Amino acid sequence: MKVLAFSHSMDLVLELISAGRELGDVSLIMTSDQEGRINEVKGAKEILLCKGMGSGDQEGLVELISGLAGDYEVVLLASDRRGRELVGQVAHRLGASSAVDVSSLSVEDGKLVVERMTFGGKAIAVEELGLPAVISVQKGKFKPPEEGEPSVREISAPSVERRIEVIERKEKPKVGVPLDKAEIVVAVGRGFRKKEDLKLAYELADVLGGVVGATRPIAADLKWMEEEVWIGISGVRIAPKLLIVVGASGQQQFAAGIMDSKVVVAVNTDSKAPIFEQADYGVVMDLYEFLPVLTRKLKEIKGG
Amino acid sequence: MDIAVLVKQSLDVQELRVDQDTGKIYIEDAPTKAGDIELNATEEAVRLKEKLGGKAIAIMLSTWGSSGKRQKEAREALTRVLAMGLDGAVLIMGEGAEKGDTYVIAKVLAEEIRDKFRLVLAAEGSEDNFSGLLPARLAAELGWPYVAYATAIEVEGDYVKVTRSLEDFEEVVKVKLPAVISVTQEINKPRVPKLVEIVKAKKKPMDQKDFSPHVEPKLVIRELKVPKVERKQIVIEGDVEEAAEKLIQALKEEGVL
Ligand SMILES: Cc1cc2nc3c(=O)[nH]c(=O)nc-3n(C[C@H](O)[C@H](O)[C@H](O)COP(=O)(O)OP(=O)(O)OC[C@H]3O[C@@H](n4cnc5c(N)ncnc54)[C@H](O)[C@@H]3O)c2cc1C
Repeated sequence: MKVLAFSHSMDLVLELISAGRELGDVSLIMTSDQEGRINEVKGAKEILLCKGMGSGDQEGLVELISGLAGDYEVVLLASDRRGRELVGQVAHRLGASSAVDVSSLSVEDGKLVVERMTFGGKAIAVEELGLPAVISVQKGKFKPPEEGEPSVREISAPSVERRIEVIERKEKPKVGVPLDKAEIVVAVGRGFRKKEDLKLAYELADVLGGVVGATRPIAADLKWMEEEVWIGISGVRIAPKLLIVVGASGQQQFAAGIMDSKVVVAVNTDSKAPIFEQADYGVVMDLYEFLPVLTRKLKEIKGG
Repeated sequence: MDIAVLVKQSLDVQELRVDQDTGKIYIEDAPTKAGDIELNATEEAVRLKEKLGGKAIAIMLSTWGSSGKRQKEAREALTRVLAMGLDGAVLIMGEGAEKGDTYVIAKVLAEEIRDKFRLVLAAEGSEDNFSGLLPARLAAELGWPYVAYATAIEVEGDYVKVTRSLEDFEEVVKVKLPAVISVTQEINKPRVPKLVEIVKAKKKPMDQKDFSPHVEPKLVIRELKVPKVERKQIVIEGDVEEAAEKLIQALKEEGVL
C-alpha cells in the first residue's frame, strides 16, 4: 500500500511515518521552510520536496496534497489544528473517506480500519474506511522510526486561486516540558480564584519535579496559562504516573485527556464533582487550605 | 448578508451512560442538545447580523434517528438558538444520518446552503464526535475557502477578517466571501435568552425537510467500545494535616513519589 504523509510540525513528522509504515511505503511531502531539517527524516521511502511552497499556506497545501494523492491509497496528516483543518478538505476533494485523531490503524479486506475516541472520551469507535482515505493520527501514539534513509525528489508547487491571505502571524513562545511527556502533572481548574493563586500549584509541582497543566477555561478563556497546556479532548492527552487535579470539576471533555494517567488525585470542595469518579484518591477540601500543607509536608520529606 | 449556522443535534456526553463491565453504551437513553460551541457560533452570527443586517438561519441535520423523542429534542435545540436571535431554522430529518458519514452530510447541507448564504459558521468540533470534519467537507463541496478555530471575526465588505490561534502561531487571515468559518469556545460568551425570547422563538419559522441519502457512505462504524479505566475512588478523610499525611502515604505505597 502507498501512503502519502505531511505535517506542519517536524516533531510530528516521524510519528506519521511510523504510523504509515504499518500500512506500506511512505512518501513524505516537505515544504520550503522544512528543507533545513531534511536530514532528520528517517523511515520514509522518499521525500517529495516542494521548494515553491511554505507550510503556512493552507490553501496551497490542499491543492498540493489533493493533486498528489491520486497515486496513493492513504493520506496521513497530523492531528494538530492545521493538520485537522486540511483533513476534511483534502478528503472531500478526493471523494475519499476520512477520520481524525486515530490511535490505531490497519488494513482488513481492502478497508482501512481505525480506532478513535468519541462521545467525549466515553467510547472508542472502530471505523471502517473505504479507500482512498485521508486521516490524521493522534499525537504521541507512534514511536518515531530510527532508520531508513529516504530518497529526495523535488516537486513543483501547483498554481492556486487565492482566497485566503495571511495578514499577520506571530509565533507563540514554546512551553518547557511538553505535558504529554511529563511524569508528574498538577492540573488546575477554575477553582483557583485568580491568576496569582496558581503559584500554589507551581510550588506543588516544583517540589514533586512535575509540570502544571490546566483545564480549557484556565488556558483558553482566562488566558492565565499558555494554550499548549490545556488537557482534554480538544487539548493535550496526558499519561503521567501521577496526576493531581486541583479545583477542576472533571467534565467529560477534560476527563478524556487524563484516562491514561497511572494514579489520579483530585482536590475539590464539592464532594459530588465528577472528578472524584475519575480519581484514585479524593480530597474533599478547599485547595487554598490543602495545597500549602501538602507542599510543606512534601518539602519536609524531600529534605528541602 | 445572510449567514447559515450549522447546529448539530449532539448527544449530551455528560449524561451518556456507559457500562464498563458489559461494554454497553446507552445511546437511546441519552438526551441530545445543541452543542455548546454551536451556541458560540450562533452568538457570533447574531452579532454580525445585528451589525450588518441580513438574516441568520440555523441548519440542523438530525443525526440520532427520527423517533418522536429525537424530533422533539431537535426542535427544542433549535428553539434555543432561535431564542438567541436567529431568524429561522431548517431541520433536516432522515434515516441514515446517524451513521455519521460526513461525506454524505456535507452533500445534503450544501444543497441547502449554496445560492442562499454568503457565510457559514460552525463549531470547531461537535460536542459528541468532535472531528471537525463537516465544515471542512462542506467548504470543499461548495468550493468555498475554509478557516477553522476562529477567536474573532470581522466582516469588511467582500472579506472576513479572522483571528485564530494555532499551536505555534497567532494568525490573522483575510478570507474572500463566500466562506465557511469554524469558531472556538473562546470567541464570545453566548447570551442566555430570556423567557419572552423563548416564547417568541417558538413562533419563528422552522422548516422541516426529509432527506434520503442518494450517495453511498464512505465510512462505516463497525463497533463502539467502552474504554476500561479503573479508579480506586478512595476518599481521604481527616483534617488538613491528616489528609495531607494520608495522601502522601498512599502515594508512597503506589510508588509514584
Ligand atoms: C466540544 C467541547 C470540547 C471541550 N474540550 C475541553 C478540553 O479539552 N479540556 C477542558 O478542560 N475542557 C474542555 N471543554 C470544557 C469542559 O466542558 C468544562 O467546561 C471545563 O473542563 C471545566 O473547567 P473547570 O473544571 O476548570 O471549571 P469548572 O467546571 O467551573 O470547575 C471548577 C471546580 O472547582 C471547584 N472549586 C471551586 N473552588 C474551589 C476551592 N477553593 N478548592 C477546591 N475546589 C474548588 C468546584 O467545586 C468545581 O468543581 C470542552 C467543552 C466542549 C463543549
